[in-house]
Amino acid sequence: MGVYLNFISSLILISAFVLVANKRINAYVRTFRLQSMLLAICAGMFGINNFLRGEGFELLIVCLLTIAIKVVFIPTLLKSTIKKVEYKVEKDFFLNIPVSILICCGLFLLTYFTVSGIEGLDKTDIKMYLVNSITVILIGLFFMISRKKAIGQIVGILIIENGLFTAAILSTRGIPMIIELGIFFDVLTAVLIMGILVFRINENFDTIDINKLKKLRG
Amino acid sequence: MLLIIFAVPAIVSLLFWCTSNKRLLHAINLIGAVLLLIFSFVITINVASNGRMVFPYDGSFLYVDSLSAIVLDTILIVGFMSMVYSVGYLEIELKREVIDLKKMRLFYSLTYAFIFTMVLAVTTPNLGVLWIAIEATTLASAFLVGFYNNNHSIEAAWKYIVICSVGIAFALLGIILLYLSTPAFGEDAKSLAFNWYYLFNHASQLNGGILKIAFIFILVGFGTKAGFVPMHTWLPDAHSQAPSPVSALLSGVLLNSAMYAIIRILTIVNKNLGESLYTGRLLMASGILSVATAAIFILSQKDYKRLLAYSSIEHMGIMAFGLGIFTPAALFGVLFHMLNHALTKSMLFLSSGNIYLKYETRQISKVRGLLRAMPITGIVFLFGIFAIAGMPPFGVFFSELKIIFAAFNADYIVPAVILVLLLAAVFAVVAVVLLEMFYGDKSSETPPKGKINHLGVAVTILMLVLIVVIGLFMPQPLTKILTNAAATIAGK
Repeated sequence: MGVYLNFISSLILISAFVLVANKRINAYVRTFRLQSMLLAICAGMFGINNFLRGEGFELLIVCLLTIAIKVVFIPTLLKSTIKKVEYKVEKDFFLNIPVSILICCGLFLLTYFTVSGIEGLDKTDIKMYLVNSITVILIGLFFMISRKKAIGQIVGILIIENGLFTAAILSTRGIPMIIELGIFFDVLTAVLIMGILVFRINENFDTIDINKLKKLRG
Repeated sequence: MLLIIFAVPAIVSLLFWCTSNKRLLHAINLIGAVLLLIFSFVITINVASNGRMVFPYDGSFLYVDSLSAIVLDTILIVGFMSMVYSVGYLEIELKREVIDLKKMRLFYSLTYAFIFTMVLAVTTPNLGVLWIAIEATTLASAFLVGFYNNNHSIEAAWKYIVICSVGIAFALLGIILLYLSTPAFGEDAKSLAFNWYYLFNHASQLNGGILKIAFIFILVGFGTKAGFVPMHTWLPDAHSQAPSPVSALLSGVLLNSAMYAIIRILTIVNKNLGESLYTGRLLMASGILSVATAAIFILSQKDYKRLLAYSSIEHMGIMAFGLGIFTPAALFGVLFHMLNHALTKSMLFLSSGNIYLKYETRQISKVRGLLRAMPITGIVFLFGIFAIAGMPPFGVFFSELKIIFAAFNADYIVPAVILVLLLAAVFAVVAVVLLEMFYGDKSSETPPKGKINHLGVAVTILMLVLIVVIGLFMPQPLTKILTNAAATIAGK
């Protein structure tokens, strides 16, 4: 069990690297979908394991919700948003891809050494899960600041959220159901609101390049 | 009783969708507002006499102790004031045809949803639900920040939702780490391991190493929402672009709710570590940094609502500093300051809304001869400026004094001296920049054309009276709650 989970959490990390290497906005959504699928598999494996040991089926519901919301609904929503606001394909990043990947490797090392330094975390596998998921969160953050388009920022937030979920599911073996549901609700509402705001930004500024949002300063 | 207090804002928020009659919308709003005010009295009296309120009997769903009661009171009182004020404000905006009836309904509904999420944040004992509620405050208020739907407000709303969602994500990581530090509890306590009172009572069994890391994540995460520098960049934008009643709620109570979350976890961490040096250094550093940054930015402000927003950053900094000292006297000062700041700042935002409706501008340089154009609002605003800058006999002065004395008593001489100097600088800067609005030549200025929000003026006068009263003479139940809460935080 531990081996498989380690493998999947590493795959989630790798998918975050893939995201940073993506050039087009449409590819972001595909990568996000892939990562969410991995997350769902991870929750599902844990859920089946817990279910067989008679510890309830909460994680299975989380797995189904992840598939419904993060694999199906949000990517579809983002795709339709992109179709409506994207007139021309243009470069969307400040740093070129190799440099970005190197920075992400640096983030991984940073997390690795920080998490290793925490006193009192003795279980090796929990340490590894934490390293992987915190790196995903940091990569999501880096992705947000390295892209210019509003859609990139939404995907960045979603990646951060995925990293959090990975941490929550793997290291705590499932947090209480009510909290999981609440987080899902928050993510869903946040994406809906940001989607509407993207339309308004597009209407008011004629672009979704957030570097043009510079009126309010100081 | 607690369940009713918890449910009313949510029900009122939904009620608005049943009608599109203007009078009825205002009526629902006023009834809701009055209920909020009544609840605040009930809570104060109950908590002062019993020490806590729970629902159900074991407090697993709702749990209000003295600390939550203080924050809850500020939410309900400022909520009442803002909602009564909104009636006049929205009425004028309707007449100016800036908004229509549908937007008014949206405004009311979202604002009550916003109040509901804050009430949820301070009444739940569950740290996970607390996180969800704080994230939900962002979601409920994002459209309120972007309410006017122009370039500036859309930009502010985007920044607000993006920065706060990311910041709060770190807080969740902190809460997960907090949960990870509970190995000693065993399987049957797993469901309770998210409850702050359970964690607090069993703090000595937690794992200190993990808690230290968790606290940093919590401080960054909820600190974003509380407006600590350098995570504050959303705050001046959101506060200045939102309609004034919403600015009052954002500044007066949203920041406090985030601060409340930090305090809750701070008590657990400090009890576990047995000292406050580790958290104290972090909090004092971010506090002083916030006050210093705010002082610099206030000097260069051209927009009066933005200036007030920076002043909120300053006051959150003062509270963080006081939390860093962590003696009962300092904590009493912090909580008292929280109350004073909430009332004073929301009063200032509400009167700035009156000025905005009259002058139809937010530029300081375009507002001249304020006392002549609007004598009552002008006087209230002037007193408000003195109060927020920290002049006696207003409450803010006394609470700042308490925090500074506590710092000297706890031998934090150098930080205290720095803080005093910075506060003096802020005082001067606020006065210099804002008093400009009261000058002006009678002959050269054109009288402003906008209307006066009479109901709003009445509300601000009421708040001014409240501030002076609290500054001069504190009611007995309030003192008792503040003392109890300070003792709870200090772990005694």
